[in-house]
Amino acid sequence: MSSATERPTSGLDAPPDGVTLPELDTPRTQVLLAIADDGLISGHRASHWTGVAPSLEEDLAFSTIAQDGLNHADLWYQVVLEADAGDSPAGVDALGLGRRPEAYRHAVICERPPRDFAYTLARHWVFDRFEAVRLAALAGSSDPAVAALAVKLRHEQRYHLEHAELWFDRLVGGGDEAVTRFHDAFADVLPEALGLFEPVAGEDAAIADGLLPVGHRKLREQWLEGAAPRLAQAGFGDLVPADDAAAPEDASGGRDGRHTDDFVVDVWPEMTRLYREHPGARW
Amino acid sequence: MDTRARVDAATVRRAVAGVADPELPPVTIGMLGMLHALTVTDAGDVLVELLPTYSGCPATEMIARDVRAAAESVDGVGTVTVRWRFDPPWTPDRIDAAGRAALREFGIAPPGGPLPDAPRPSGPDRSLPLAVGPTTSASEPPVPCPYCRSRDTVRDSAYGPTPCRDLRYCAACQQPFEAFRSR
Repeated sequence: MSSATERPTSGLDAPPDGVTLPELDTPRTQVLLAIADDGLISGHRASHWTGVAPSLEEDLAFSTIAQDGLNHADLWYQVVLEADAGDSPAGVDALGLGRRPEAYRHAVICERPPRDFAYTLARHWVFDRFEAVRLAALAGSSDPAVAALAVKLRHEQRYHLEHAELWFDRLVGGGDEAVTRFHDAFADVLPEALGLFEPVAGEDAAIADGLLPVGHRKLREQWLEGAAPRLAQAGFGDLVPADDAAAPEDASGGRDGRHTDDFVVDVWPEMTRLYREHPGARW
Repeated sequence: MDTRARVDAATVRRAVAGVADPELPPVTIGMLGMLHALTVTDAGDVLVELLPTYSGCPATEMIARDVRAAAESVDGVGTVTVRWRFDPPWTPDRIDAAGRAALREFGIAPPGGPLPDAPRPSGPDRSLPLAVGPTTSASEPPVPCPYCRSRDTVRDSAYGPTPCRDLRYCAACQQPFEAFRSR
Protein backbone atom coordinates (compact mmCIF):
# COMPACT_ATOMS: atom_id res chain seq x y z
CA MET A 1 0.00 0.00 0.00
CA SER A 2 3.01 2.23 0.36
CA SER A 3 3.10 4.78 -2.40
CA ALA A 4 6.87 4.41 -2.36
CA THR A 5 6.59 1.02 -4.07
CA GLU A 6 4.90 2.62 -7.08
CA ARG A 7 7.80 4.95 -7.67
CA PRO A 8 10.89 4.27 -9.69
CA THR A 9 13.37 2.21 -7.74
CA SER A 10 16.31 4.43 -8.47
CA GLY A 11 17.32 7.92 -9.44
CA LEU A 12 14.92 10.76 -9.40
CA ASP A 13 11.19 10.90 -8.94
CA ALA A 14 9.40 12.74 -11.71
CA PRO A 15 10.09 16.42 -11.04
CA PRO A 16 7.14 18.79 -10.74
CA ASP A 17 5.77 20.51 -13.84
CA GLY A 18 7.98 23.28 -15.11
CA VAL A 19 11.14 21.90 -13.52
CA THR A 20 13.81 20.65 -15.86
CA LEU A 21 16.65 18.76 -14.31
CA PRO A 22 19.98 17.96 -15.88
CA GLU A 23 21.36 14.47 -16.44
CA LEU A 24 22.42 13.18 -13.05
CA ASP A 25 25.07 10.72 -14.17
CA THR A 26 27.60 13.16 -15.61
CA PRO A 27 30.91 13.47 -13.75
CA ARG A 28 30.18 17.15 -12.98
CA THR A 29 26.82 16.40 -11.43
CA GLN A 30 28.05 13.37 -9.52
CA VAL A 31 30.88 15.38 -7.94
CA LEU A 32 28.57 18.28 -7.08
CA LEU A 33 25.94 15.95 -5.63
CA ALA A 34 28.55 14.35 -3.36
CA ILE A 35 29.52 17.80 -2.07
CA ALA A 36 25.92 18.94 -1.66
CA ASP A 37 24.68 15.70 -0.12
CA ASP A 38 27.51 15.62 2.44
CA GLY A 39 26.33 19.06 3.59
CA LEU A 40 22.63 18.25 3.48
CA ILE A 41 22.86 15.07 5.52
CA SER A 42 25.49 16.37 7.96
CA GLY A 43 23.26 19.40 8.45
CA HIS A 44 20.25 17.22 9.21
CA ARG A 45 22.19 15.30 11.83
CA ALA A 46 23.59 18.53 13.34
CA SER A 47 20.05 19.83 13.74
CA HIS A 48 19.44 17.01 16.20
CA TRP A 49 21.04 19.23 18.87
CA THR A 50 18.67 22.15 18.39
CA GLY A 51 16.95 22.58 21.74
CA VAL A 52 18.81 19.75 23.48
CA ALA A 53 22.50 20.69 23.26
CA PRO A 54 24.43 20.75 26.55
CA SER A 55 24.54 24.56 26.64
CA LEU A 56 22.90 27.53 24.98
CA GLU A 57 26.13 28.29 23.12
CA GLU A 58 26.26 24.78 21.69
CA ASP A 59 22.59 24.94 20.80
CA LEU A 60 23.34 28.04 18.74
CA ALA A 61 26.49 26.50 17.32
CA PHE A 62 24.94 23.28 16.08
CA SER A 63 21.75 24.99 14.94
CA THR A 64 23.85 27.39 12.86
CA ILE A 65 26.07 24.58 11.56
CA ALA A 66 22.92 22.70 10.60
CA GLN A 67 21.51 25.76 8.84
CA ASP A 68 24.79 26.27 7.01
CA GLY A 69 24.89 22.62 5.95
CA LEU A 70 21.41 22.77 4.43
CA ASN A 71 21.97 26.15 2.83
CA HIS A 72 25.32 25.22 1.38
CA ALA A 73 23.73 22.11 -0.09
CA ASP A 74 21.02 24.33 -1.59
CA LEU A 75 23.70 26.46 -3.26
CA TRP A 76 25.57 23.45 -4.66
CA TYR A 77 22.28 22.12 -6.08
CA GLN A 78 21.87 25.50 -7.78
CA VAL A 79 25.31 25.02 -9.33
CA VAL A 80 24.16 21.62 -10.59
CA LEU A 81 21.13 23.34 -12.13
CA GLU A 82 23.37 26.09 -13.53
CA ALA A 83 20.81 28.53 -12.22
CA ASP A 84 21.21 31.95 -10.70
CA ALA A 85 21.25 31.80 -6.95
CA GLY A 86 17.75 31.86 -5.51
CA ASP A 87 16.23 31.42 -8.93
CA SER A 88 15.23 27.79 -8.83
CA PRO A 89 13.68 26.71 -5.54
CA ALA A 90 11.56 23.99 -7.17
CA GLY A 91 14.59 22.52 -8.94
CA VAL A 92 16.60 22.60 -5.73
CA ASP A 93 13.81 20.79 -3.90
CA ALA A 94 13.63 18.18 -6.64
CA LEU A 95 17.34 17.51 -6.25
CA GLY A 96 17.52 17.75 -2.47
CA LEU A 97 14.30 15.96 -1.64
CA GLY A 98 13.10 14.22 -4.81
CA ARG A 99 15.72 11.51 -5.18
CA ARG A 100 15.44 7.93 -4.05
CA PRO A 101 17.83 7.04 -1.21
CA GLU A 102 20.22 5.22 -3.53
CA ALA A 103 20.71 8.37 -5.62
CA TYR A 104 22.27 10.28 -2.70
CA ARG A 105 26.05 10.52 -2.85
CA HIS A 106 27.04 11.50 0.71
CA ALA A 107 29.45 9.36 2.70
CA VAL A 108 27.88 6.98 5.22
CA ILE A 109 29.62 8.71 8.18
CA CYS A 110 27.40 11.76 7.52
CA GLU A 111 24.20 9.77 8.05
CA ARG A 112 25.16 8.24 11.38
CA PRO A 113 23.06 9.41 14.33
CA PRO A 114 24.72 12.01 16.57
CA ARG A 115 24.91 9.56 19.51
CA ASP A 116 26.49 11.48 22.40
CA PHE A 117 28.30 14.81 22.38
CA ALA A 118 31.73 13.15 22.26
CA TYR A 119 30.81 11.29 19.07
CA THR A 120 29.24 14.42 17.58
CA LEU A 121 32.38 16.46 18.27
CA ALA A 122 34.75 13.80 16.95
CA ARG A 123 32.77 13.55 13.71
CA HIS A 124 32.50 17.35 13.53
CA TRP A 125 36.30 17.63 13.76
CA VAL A 126 36.94 14.95 11.15
CA PHE A 127 34.27 16.18 8.75
CA ASP A 128 35.10 19.87 8.93
CA ARG A 129 38.79 19.21 8.38
CA PHE A 130 37.73 17.20 5.34
CA GLU A 131 35.44 19.97 4.10
CA ALA A 132 38.24 22.49 4.58
CA VAL A 133 40.66 20.63 2.31
CA ARG A 134 37.96 19.92 -0.24
CA LEU A 135 36.77 23.55 -0.38
CA ALA A 136 40.38 24.70 -0.68
CA ALA A 137 40.74 22.41 -3.69
CA LEU A 138 37.42 23.52 -5.22
CA ALA A 139 38.44 27.18 -4.93
CA GLY A 140 40.83 26.38 -7.79
CA SER A 141 38.18 24.70 -9.94
CA SER A 142 38.18 25.34 -13.68
CA ASP A 143 34.40 25.82 -13.41
CA PRO A 144 33.88 29.50 -12.44
CA ALA A 145 30.59 28.86 -10.62
CA VAL A 146 32.19 26.10 -8.54
CA ALA A 147 35.27 28.19 -7.73
CA ALA A 148 33.26 31.29 -6.76
CA LEU A 149 30.99 29.35 -4.40
CA ALA A 150 33.91 27.49 -2.83
CA VAL A 151 35.72 30.77 -2.12
CA LYS A 152 32.59 32.17 -0.49
CA LEU A 153 31.90 29.06 1.59
CA ARG A 154 35.48 28.88 2.88
CA HIS A 155 34.84 32.13 4.76
CA GLU A 156 31.94 30.50 6.56
CA GLN A 157 33.31 27.01 6.97
CA ARG A 158 36.28 28.37 8.95
CA TYR A 159 33.86 29.03 11.82
CA HIS A 160 32.87 25.37 11.85
CA LEU A 161 36.50 24.31 11.85
CA GLU A 162 37.42 26.75 14.60
CA HIS A 163 34.54 25.46 16.71
CA ALA A 164 35.63 21.87 16.18
CA GLU A 165 39.27 22.68 17.00
CA LEU A 166 38.42 24.56 20.19
CA TRP A 167 36.44 21.56 21.41
CA PHE A 168 39.23 19.20 20.38
CA ASP A 169 41.72 21.13 22.51
CA ARG A 170 39.30 21.45 25.38
CA LEU A 171 38.50 17.74 25.52
CA VAL A 172 42.02 16.37 25.02
CA GLY A 173 43.19 18.81 27.71
CA GLY A 174 40.35 17.81 30.01
CA GLY A 175 39.95 15.20 32.70
CA ASP A 176 40.14 11.44 32.33
CA GLU A 177 36.50 11.05 31.42
CA ALA A 178 36.71 13.66 28.67
CA VAL A 179 39.85 12.10 27.19
CA THR A 180 38.54 8.54 27.40
CA ARG A 181 35.18 9.32 25.88
CA PHE A 182 36.72 11.43 23.13
CA HIS A 183 39.21 8.65 22.36
CA ASP A 184 36.41 6.08 22.17
CA ALA A 185 34.42 8.37 19.90
CA PHE A 186 37.35 8.76 17.52
CA ALA A 187 37.79 4.98 17.54
CA ASP A 188 34.26 4.78 16.10
CA VAL A 189 34.51 7.79 13.79
CA LEU A 190 37.91 7.50 12.14
CA PRO A 191 37.53 4.15 10.35
CA GLU A 192 34.09 5.12 9.01
CA ALA A 193 35.32 8.57 8.01
CA LEU A 194 37.48 6.94 5.35
CA GLY A 195 34.28 6.62 3.32
CA LEU A 196 34.45 10.39 2.80
CA PHE A 197 37.49 9.90 0.59
CA GLU A 198 35.98 7.37 -1.79
CA PRO A 199 35.70 8.76 -5.33
CA VAL A 200 32.39 9.32 -7.06
CA ALA A 201 31.55 7.77 -10.41
CA GLY A 202 33.38 9.58 -13.18
CA GLU A 203 35.66 11.40 -10.79
CA ASP A 204 38.75 10.87 -12.95
CA ALA A 205 37.09 12.85 -15.73
CA ALA A 206 36.19 15.65 -13.30
CA ILE A 207 39.81 15.76 -12.13
CA ALA A 208 41.11 15.73 -15.70
CA ASP A 209 39.03 18.73 -16.78
CA GLY A 210 39.84 20.65 -13.60
CA LEU A 211 36.31 20.75 -12.17
CA LEU A 212 37.61 18.92 -9.09
CA PRO A 213 41.29 19.90 -9.04
CA VAL A 214 42.12 17.39 -6.29
CA GLY A 215 40.33 14.05 -6.21
CA HIS A 216 38.95 12.44 -3.07
CA ARG A 217 41.82 9.93 -2.83
CA LYS A 218 44.34 12.76 -2.85
CA LEU A 219 42.21 14.77 -0.43
CA ARG A 220 42.63 11.89 2.00
CA GLU A 221 46.38 12.44 2.01
CA GLN A 222 45.95 16.18 2.57
CA TRP A 223 43.45 15.59 5.35
CA LEU A 224 45.67 13.02 7.05
CA GLU A 225 48.68 15.30 6.80
CA GLY A 226 46.87 17.80 9.02
CA ALA A 227 44.86 15.43 11.21
CA ALA A 228 47.48 12.79 12.05
CA PRO A 229 49.89 15.05 14.01
CA ARG A 230 46.99 16.57 15.98
CA LEU A 231 45.68 13.11 16.86
CA ALA A 232 49.15 11.87 17.81
CA GLN A 233 49.80 14.91 19.96
CA ALA A 234 46.51 14.32 21.75
CA GLY A 235 47.60 10.79 22.60
CA PHE A 236 45.28 9.28 19.99
CA GLY A 237 48.09 8.17 17.68
CA ASP A 238 46.89 4.56 17.91
CA LEU A 239 43.75 5.61 16.02
CA VAL A 240 45.40 7.28 13.01
CA PRO A 241 44.23 5.33 9.95
CA ALA A 242 46.94 3.44 8.09
CA ASP A 243 47.66 4.60 4.56
CA ASP A 244 46.12 1.46 3.08
CA ALA A 245 43.15 1.26 5.46
CA ALA A 246 39.68 1.18 3.92
CA ALA A 247 36.36 2.11 5.48
CA PRO A 248 34.51 -0.85 7.04
CA GLU A 249 32.18 -2.56 4.58
CA ASP A 250 28.95 -1.05 5.94
CA ALA A 251 30.40 2.48 6.04
CA SER A 252 31.71 2.24 2.49
CA GLY A 253 29.96 2.94 -0.79
CA GLY A 254 28.03 6.09 0.07
CA ARG A 255 29.49 7.80 -2.99
CA ASP A 256 27.88 5.03 -5.08
CA GLY A 257 24.54 5.32 -3.29
CA ARG A 258 24.94 2.43 -0.84
CA HIS A 259 23.45 3.69 2.40
CA THR A 260 22.58 2.16 5.73
CA ASP A 261 19.28 2.07 7.57
CA ASP A 262 20.47 5.18 9.40
CA PHE A 263 19.69 6.98 6.15
CA VAL A 264 17.23 4.79 4.30
CA VAL A 265 14.93 4.13 7.25
CA ASP A 266 15.73 7.07 9.52
CA VAL A 267 16.85 10.32 7.82
CA TRP A 268 15.47 9.97 4.30
CA PRO A 269 11.78 9.22 5.06
CA GLU A 270 11.50 12.08 7.53
CA MET A 271 13.53 14.55 5.48
CA THR A 272 11.55 13.96 2.29
CA ARG A 273 8.11 13.24 3.71
CA LEU A 274 6.55 16.66 3.24
CA TYR A 275 7.95 16.88 -0.28
CA ARG A 276 6.64 13.44 -1.19
CA GLU A 277 3.21 13.84 0.38
CA HIS A 278 2.54 17.33 -0.93
CA PRO A 279 3.95 17.50 -4.45
CA GLY A 280 4.68 21.05 -5.50
CA ALA A 281 4.38 22.47 -1.98
CA ARG A 282 6.29 25.70 -1.42
CA TRP A 283 7.86 26.75 1.88
CA MET B 1 8.65 56.47 -31.16
CA ASP B 2 9.35 55.84 -27.50
CA THR B 3 8.21 58.87 -25.57
CA ARG B 4 9.11 57.53 -22.14
CA ALA B 5 11.75 59.43 -20.29
CA ARG B 6 14.91 57.45 -19.83
CA VAL B 7 15.17 55.98 -16.36
CA ASP B 8 17.94 57.53 -14.29
CA ALA B 9 20.16 54.73 -13.01
CA ALA B 10 21.28 56.80 -10.03
CA THR B 11 17.67 57.17 -8.90
CA VAL B 12 17.07 53.44 -9.11
CA ARG B 13 20.34 52.81 -7.32
CA ARG B 14 19.37 55.14 -4.47
CA ALA B 15 16.02 53.38 -4.11
CA VAL B 16 17.61 49.94 -4.05
CA ALA B 17 20.48 50.91 -1.75
CA GLY B 18 17.92 52.17 0.76
CA VAL B 19 16.30 48.76 1.24
CA ALA B 20 16.55 47.76 4.90
CA ASP B 21 18.07 44.50 6.04
CA PRO B 22 15.02 42.64 7.40
CA GLU B 23 16.98 41.36 10.40
CA LEU B 24 18.78 44.65 11.09
CA PRO B 25 16.18 47.27 10.17
CA PRO B 26 18.32 50.39 10.80
CA VAL B 27 20.92 49.12 8.34
CA THR B 28 20.41 49.20 4.60
CA ILE B 29 21.83 46.87 2.00
CA GLY B 30 23.70 49.88 0.63
CA MET B 31 25.43 50.42 3.98
CA LEU B 32 26.26 46.73 4.21
CA GLY B 33 27.90 46.82 0.80
CA MET B 34 25.60 44.15 -0.63
CA LEU B 35 24.77 46.09 -3.79
CA HIS B 36 27.37 44.98 -6.28
CA ALA B 37 26.06 46.37 -9.56
CA LEU B 38 22.94 47.92 -11.01
CA THR B 39 22.33 48.53 -14.67
CA VAL B 40 19.39 50.08 -16.48
CA THR B 41 18.77 49.46 -20.16
CA ASP B 42 17.41 52.07 -22.54
CA ALA B 43 14.05 50.33 -22.25
CA GLY B 44 14.08 50.83 -18.48
CA ASP B 45 14.79 47.20 -17.58
CA VAL B 46 16.87 46.86 -14.45
CA LEU B 47 19.44 44.25 -13.49
CA VAL B 48 20.51 44.26 -9.85
CA GLU B 49 23.42 42.14 -8.70
CA LEU B 50 23.64 41.53 -4.96
CA LEU B 51 26.25 39.94 -2.73
CA PRO B 52 24.85 37.89 0.16
CA THR B 53 26.56 38.51 3.51
CA TYR B 54 26.27 34.89 4.55
CA SER B 55 25.59 32.52 1.71
CA GLY B 56 22.81 30.74 3.52
CA CYS B 57 21.19 33.82 5.00
CA PRO B 58 17.46 33.10 5.19
CA ALA B 59 16.74 36.81 4.65
CA THR B 60 17.96 36.71 1.05
CA GLU B 61 14.52 35.92 -0.35
CA MET B 62 12.96 38.86 1.49
CA ILE B 63 15.78 41.13 0.44
CA ALA B 64 15.39 40.15 -3.20
CA ARG B 65 11.66 40.82 -3.01
CA ASP B 66 12.18 44.22 -1.34
CA VAL B 67 14.86 45.15 -3.86
CA ARG B 68 12.56 44.29 -6.73
CA ALA B 69 9.78 46.39 -5.21
CA ALA B 70 12.13 49.32 -4.60
CA ALA B 71 13.36 49.29 -8.19
CA GLU B 72 9.83 48.94 -9.56
CA SER B 73 8.73 51.96 -7.55
CA VAL B 74 10.85 54.23 -9.74
CA ASP B 75 8.89 55.73 -12.64
CA GLY B 76 9.57 54.17 -16.00
CA VAL B 77 11.23 51.02 -14.72
CA GLY B 78 10.28 47.92 -16.70
CA THR B 79 11.36 44.39 -15.89
CA VAL B 80 13.52 44.01 -12.79
CA THR B 81 15.93 41.11 -12.48
CA VAL B 82 17.63 40.45 -9.15
CA ARG B 83 20.64 38.19 -9.20
CA TRP B 84 22.76 36.96 -6.30
CA ARG B 85 26.43 36.35 -6.90
CA PHE B 86 29.36 35.08 -4.84
CA ASP B 87 32.15 36.59 -6.88
CA PRO B 88 33.50 38.79 -5.41
CA PRO B 89 32.72 37.28 -2.00
CA TRP B 90 31.09 39.70 0.42
CA THR B 91 33.34 40.44 3.40
CA PRO B 92 32.63 42.65 6.43
CA ASP B 93 35.04 45.33 5.24
CA ARG B 94 32.35 46.26 2.70
CA ILE B 95 30.24 47.79 5.50
CA ASP B 96 30.55 51.56 5.23
CA ALA B 97 31.02 54.09 8.04
CA ALA B 98 27.30 54.88 8.25
CA GLY B 99 26.55 51.17 8.45
CA ARG B 100 29.07 50.67 11.25
CA ALA B 101 27.57 53.55 13.20
CA ALA B 102 24.04 52.22 12.65
CA LEU B 103 25.02 48.73 13.79
CA ARG B 104 26.63 50.10 16.95
CA GLU B 105 23.58 52.27 17.61
CA PHE B 106 21.44 49.13 17.24
CA GLY B 107 23.56 47.39 19.89
CA ILE B 108 25.57 45.21 17.53
CA ALA B 109 29.32 45.66 17.46
CA PRO B 110 30.50 46.22 13.90
CA PRO B 111 33.41 44.18 12.60
CA GLY B 112 36.94 45.52 12.30
CA GLY B 113 37.36 49.09 11.17
CA PRO B 114 38.72 51.94 13.25
CA LEU B 115 38.30 51.31 16.96
CA PRO B 116 36.80 54.11 19.01
CA ASP B 117 38.76 55.10 22.11
CA ALA B 118 37.34 53.50 25.17
CA PRO B 119 37.99 54.29 28.81
CA ARG B 120 39.52 51.54 30.87
CA PRO B 121 36.83 50.11 33.08
CA SER B 122 36.85 51.20 36.69
CA GLY B 123 34.88 50.29 39.76
CA PRO B 124 34.55 47.11 41.78
CA ASP B 125 35.83 43.73 40.73
CA ARG B 126 33.91 42.47 37.82
CA SER B 127 32.17 39.17 37.71
CA LEU B 128 33.41 36.64 35.18
CA PRO B 129 31.12 35.69 32.35
CA LEU B 130 29.78 32.17 32.38
CA ALA B 131 31.91 30.43 29.80
CA VAL B 132 30.49 27.00 29.12
CA GLY B 133 31.72 26.46 25.64
CA PRO B 134 34.90 27.51 23.89
CA THR B 135 35.26 31.25 23.79
CA THR B 136 37.59 33.80 22.32
CA SER B 137 40.16 32.79 19.79
CA ALA B 138 43.52 34.14 20.93
CA SER B 139 44.39 35.44 17.48
CA GLU B 140 41.45 37.81 17.38
CA PRO B 141 41.54 41.24 19.08
CA PRO B 142 38.61 42.03 21.36
CA VAL B 143 35.63 43.78 19.80
CA PRO B 144 34.70 47.08 21.47
CA CYS B 145 31.43 46.99 23.39
CA PRO B 146 28.69 48.81 21.42
CA TYR B 147 27.29 50.25 24.68
CA CYS B 148 30.31 51.51 26.65
CA ARG B 149 33.02 51.09 23.99
CA SER B 150 35.31 49.21 26.35
CA ARG B 151 37.59 46.67 24.75
CA ASP B 152 37.47 44.53 27.87
CA THR B 153 35.25 42.02 26.11
CA VAL B 154 35.29 38.32 25.34
CA ARG B 155 33.51 36.21 22.79
CA ASP B 156 31.08 33.92 24.57
CA SER B 157 30.06 32.01 21.49
CA ALA B 158 31.13 32.02 17.87
CA TYR B 159 27.49 31.47 16.95
CA GLY B 160 24.61 33.83 17.53
CA PRO B 161 20.98 34.42 16.60
CA THR B 162 21.77 34.70 12.90
CA PRO B 163 24.61 33.29 10.79
CA CYS B 164 26.25 36.74 10.58
CA ARG B 165 26.42 37.46 14.33
CA ASP B 166 28.19 36.04 17.39
CA LEU B 167 27.76 36.52 21.14
CA ARG B 168 30.09 38.63 23.30
CA TYR B 169 30.28 39.83 26.87
CA CYS B 170 31.56 43.16 28.12
CA ALA B 171 33.33 42.89 31.45
CA ALA B 172 33.32 46.68 31.88
CA CYS B 173 29.57 47.28 31.76
CA GLN B 174 28.67 43.63 32.32
CA GLN B 175 26.45 43.50 29.28
CA PRO B 176 26.15 40.66 26.87
CA PHE B 177 26.07 41.94 23.32
CA GLU B 178 26.12 40.73 19.74
CA ALA B 179 28.84 41.42 17.21
CA PHE B 180 28.77 41.21 13.46
CA ARG B 181 31.10 38.37 12.61
CA SER B 182 34.48 39.55 11.52
CA ARG B 183 34.85 37.59 8.30
